[in-house]
Amino acid sequence: MIHFYHVTKRFDAYSTALHDVTFHIEKGEFVFLTGPSGAGKSTLLKLILRQMNPTEGQIVVNGRNLNAMKRRHLPHFRREIGMVFQEFKLIERMTIFENLSFILTVIGLNAKEHKKKAYTALRAVGLQHKMNYYPLQLSGGEQQRVAIARALINDPLMLIADEPTGNLDPDLAQDVLEIFNSANLRGSTVLVATHDRDLIQRSNRRVVALDHGRILEEKIAAAEKPPPRSESVFVNWSS
Amino acid sequence: MSSEYDSQIPSSTVAYFFREAMRRIWVSKRTSFVAVAMIAISMLIVGFFLLLSENLSRAAEQAQGKSRVDIYLIADAMPAQITAVDRYLASHPDLARRRFVSRDEALRRFVSYFANLNGVVSQLDTNPFPPSFECDIAPQTMQTAPFLREVKELRGIAGVDDVQFDWEWVRRLKRVVNIVNIAGIVAGAVLALAAAFTIANVIRLTMMLYREEIDIMRLVGATERTIRGPFLVEGFLQGTLGALFAVALLFGSFEAARTWIAPANSLIWSFLFNGFLPWQKIGVLVAGGMLAGTLGSWLSVRESGEEAT
Repeated sequence: MIHFYHVTKRFDAYSTALHDVTFHIEKGEFVFLTGPSGAGKSTLLKLILRQMNPTEGQIVVNGRNLNAMKRRHLPHFRREIGMVFQEFKLIERMTIFENLSFILTVIGLNAKEHKKKAYTALRAVGLQHKMNYYPLQLSGGEQQRVAIARALINDPLMLIADEPTGNLDPDLAQDVLEIFNSANLRGSTVLVATHDRDLIQRSNRRVVALDHGRILEEKIAAAEKPPPRSESVFVNWSS
Repeated sequence: MSSEYDSQIPSSTVAYFFREAMRRIWVSKRTSFVAVAMIAISMLIVGFFLLLSENLSRAAEQAQGKSRVDIYLIADAMPAQITAVDRYLASHPDLARRRFVSRDEALRRFVSYFANLNGVVSQLDTNPFPPSFECDIAPQTMQTAPFLREVKELRGIAGVDDVQFDWEWVRRLKRVVNIVNIAGIVAGAVLALAAAFTIANVIRLTMMLYREEIDIMRLVGATERTIRGPFLVEGFLQGTLGALFAVALLFGSFEAARTWIAPANSLIWSFLFNGFLPWQKIGVLVAGGMLAGTLGSWLSVRESGEEAT
């Protein structure tokens, strides 16, 4: 589903976010992307969403070579991805319901379907009773859940989340993980960028670890505790 | 899932364009007012020229509709010369509807038309007015070659001093109408462009205000058409509003001037206040406003599209 071939992203001569990164995520997989701040996680996610182009290498997502993708094809490509942004990116002047409904409008869905879909998505994150609230009336955790509901509203082929539990307490983080698991069970490929070691540990999923823009070869950690769907790079956070 | 490249915009999306555009106009009332006022002023000036040209055209048409040829004879024309001219006119269908005006009748007419000059007339030793023939002719006849030939022949007949007809005057009036039209078009084009650029700047400001929202829209898969649609509609609505204000203001001013300024019996004023613009020209004016508004918003959204990733 997501294939990186020797991808390098350089912003200038002194700043390289990713160095020769190669990895593959297959359809239906649930993968954690982890690493310290500045490791290149957000850059990697932006490359998948084609918010930027790689300096070198090729990226293929759902059979499309992003380097060769024309700009006019971009909206339809992005509709296949449910994205949960680190900073939520909710529209403050709109209610929670409108934030979700707005997405359905801009992707051209019939207005009749909005209410049902928005309600279902909000119920999945336990916020259906706050659909008429504005984002700033909600806590950070609640806003995060709205962002997740928005990402899931159109049953995306891929769910990509950037630090989705950064603002949540452990219980809520577990709930978010359940939501992602459920989306994964429904067929979405899930990629979660996170610092949250506990979350990774609890989930028992494949982990791609980045550091200084390179994928770490954590062979020792993998040997200590191999994850169930091991394939390329693994990190055992319990070590 | 929607087709790869939707060619149709769903009606709900169009409704969204209008809803959003109206909301944005309302939210940015002051800047929107500037844009609407700019369009209104431009269209008001264009409308003024249109109205002037319309009334002058009507005056020209009316003058043309009452076309007349005056054949002035020499003051001491002999009866035989008068009869020869009369025979010539009778034998030419274009000029056959004729009236003879004797010297006395010409003097009487002058005295009745210009009563205040009676003192001058009474001091004259002799009647200065020559006898003449007045011929009513069809307006389209004046432009034909046979008619001009007949005029030339008439001028050659003994006893004929001069032949005058309204066509020259009508032609001059039509030339004025053309100049007014050209001035209106040039002024209109310049002002509409200025208004379009004002709207472009207003829309650019609105787009900056909604930059974050636009980014979110792009990231969740909104097409450029969906992103730009409300801005285009915003310009279109501002242009339409401006043009409608201009028409209302023009109509109000015209009616007020006709009622309060123009004296009822003045010939010049009656030319200028013949009537308001016909529906077709009002339509042109409103369409001009719509076009200027849409052009302005298109200019700014086109730039934003070029910046987009």
